[in-house]
Amino acid sequence: MVQDGFKTRSKKLNIKLQNMEKIYTLLSTLLVILALGLVILPNKNDPKETSPKLLLSSVTEKSRYLSVDQITHRIIENDPCLLLIDLRPASQFKIFALPGSMNIPADSILTSTNIEIFNHPGKDKVFYANSDLNAEMAWMICTRFSLKRIYVMKGGLNEWFNTIIETGMVSITASTTDLELLSFRNAARQYFTGTGQTIPVPAAGNPGEKVTVTRKASGAKSGGGC
Amino acid sequence: MKKIKFDGSQYLNPYLGGVILGTVLLLSFYISGRGLGASGAVKNSVAATVNAIAPKHVEASAYYSQFAGGDRQPMSNWLVYEVLGVLAGAFLSGIIFNRLKLKVEHSPKITSRRRLLFALLGGLIFGFGTQLARGCTSGAALSGMAVLSLGGYITMVAIFGTAFAAAWIFRKNWI
Amino acid sequence: MIGPIVSSGIVSPAWDNVFAVLLGMGFGFALESSGFSSSRKIIGTFFGYDFVVVKVFFTAAIVSSLGLLYLSYLGLLDYSQLYIQPTFLASAIVGGIIMGIGFALGGFCPGTSLCAAAVGRIDGLVFFGGMFIGVFLFSESFPLFENIYYSGSMGAKKINSVFGISPELFTFFLVLMAIGMFYGAGWVQNKVKKIEY
Repeated sequence: MVQDGFKTRSKKLNIKLQNMEKIYTLLSTLLVILALGLVILPNKNDPKETSPKLLLSSVTEKSRYLSVDQITHRIIENDPCLLLIDLRPASQFKIFALPGSMNIPADSILTSTNIEIFNHPGKDKVFYANSDLNAEMAWMICTRFSLKRIYVMKGGLNEWFNTIIETGMVSITASTTDLELLSFRNAARQYFTGTGQTIPVPAAGNPGEKVTVTRKASGAKSGGGC
Repeated sequence: MKKIKFDGSQYLNPYLGGVILGTVLLLSFYISGRGLGASGAVKNSVAATVNAIAPKHVEASAYYSQFAGGDRQPMSNWLVYEVLGVLAGAFLSGIIFNRLKLKVEHSPKITSRRRLLFALLGGLIFGFGTQLARGCTSGAALSGMAVLSLGGYITMVAIFGTAFAAAWIFRKNWI
Repeated sequence: MIGPIVSSGIVSPAWDNVFAVLLGMGFGFALESSGFSSSRKIIGTFFGYDFVVVKVFFTAAIVSSLGLLYLSYLGLLDYSQLYIQPTFLASAIVGGIIMGIGFALGGFCPGTSLCAAAVGRIDGLVFFGGMFIGVFLFSESFPLFENIYYSGSMGAKKINSVFGISPELFTFFLVLMAIGMFYGAGWVQNKVKKIEY
């Protein structure tokens, strides 16, 4: 009698173990399917789009423009928060480009890897091309995708050359700010071309005034950043 | 899904426990954007205590000054609150499963004193290691693995790999 | 609601600490009810008689990894906002080795020693106390280890990028590996001499 009791008990235990085995196999399969599901499901990384009204107000306000002087300043300072994006074809980029810029030809802006670059949270992304046309277009596309900190270097490379590399003469009656700007551009030209060619600054202002390069205080969050 | 173990105590099925733990971890990320941890609370407590006794030393130290000194509040820290919760949760579980018992748990082959000595030594060494690795098995390893952090996986492998070898060396204490 | 809830501003930051307590309670409950208040149960993994550590740990890892990826996919969570611990290669390895030694000697880790202490295990309490001393020793002798502490910095590097695969694919392999380990653990446990603990 005792032996019968023992047999039924061990049989019950065996059945219970078998049930556990089945449950475990079921759970394992479920888990594998879940994990596989993640791999198979398509990438839903669509960035959200801004509404047309918001887009229009962004277009009409001018805060997206950075002047060539501002950009030059930041290039000389090696500002780590600056990401210059050259939209011209690679052949032109090879001949000359602004120091530290990266080349993304205008027709390949819309690839997902590039959108990821424009999405870089820590930097200011500044578009430029020879003129404003492509830069504005790139800015428009990015703003439509709600990307932040996108700018346009006003006037493009044409303006840059005309301003920094080939500054014209300035009259003696120019204002102090204009003369300071001229000094700055002289210094910048030397930085970029290494030539000693400078347009002499009229003595109306402070002749010995040096161009001060101030370090921009980075409002860094913990861990450093822009 | 409960199993009876030799000491008569009821434990949850480990897979169920793992699912619960994983869910809590998931919630932790969903709510606070960070994983669980334990050693961080110890670090903050030590820093706060030393700060209370010798504030100048804290400011001068390259290590303490990262989390204490000045107007920093190391004790008012997410981890410290979480640790309090851990104590409460474990206590609750102890009540439910009737495991509340004041004792020193040790292998029958060694004495209580030896166990306590090794516990102290082990805690000391472990505490030292958590500072180097910036976390413990919960904070660095488990939470790190949840977000696929390389450092988390490396620490996990290092801990378990070394523990296998070290446990075998010190097996007299356990089996 | 887009997670993380606290940082996205839906709930005021003061609630963060309240949630910390609640989450901690869940953590402690899960650990203790699975048996992590017993040091001999924990150490069983290394001698083959109780693999509860492997089972709980890796189940939690795959549940949370899968869960986070799914939440992110469904748009309920901003994955980029999650705190990923920065990787410092040398200190992660050396610290892990040291912790492994402490683990084998003491039979606990910080979280489990808290659970043990909460249910009255004195050895858990002593372990936790020992940690304070260890942390203190490190903090005081920090200049000696400063080099190791900061060396090998790789930023918040993800493990799937080391292998050059996507996070989802890595998690898939992780699930396969974990399930393999679970079956392996059951097999070993059946073969090993039974210990009374």
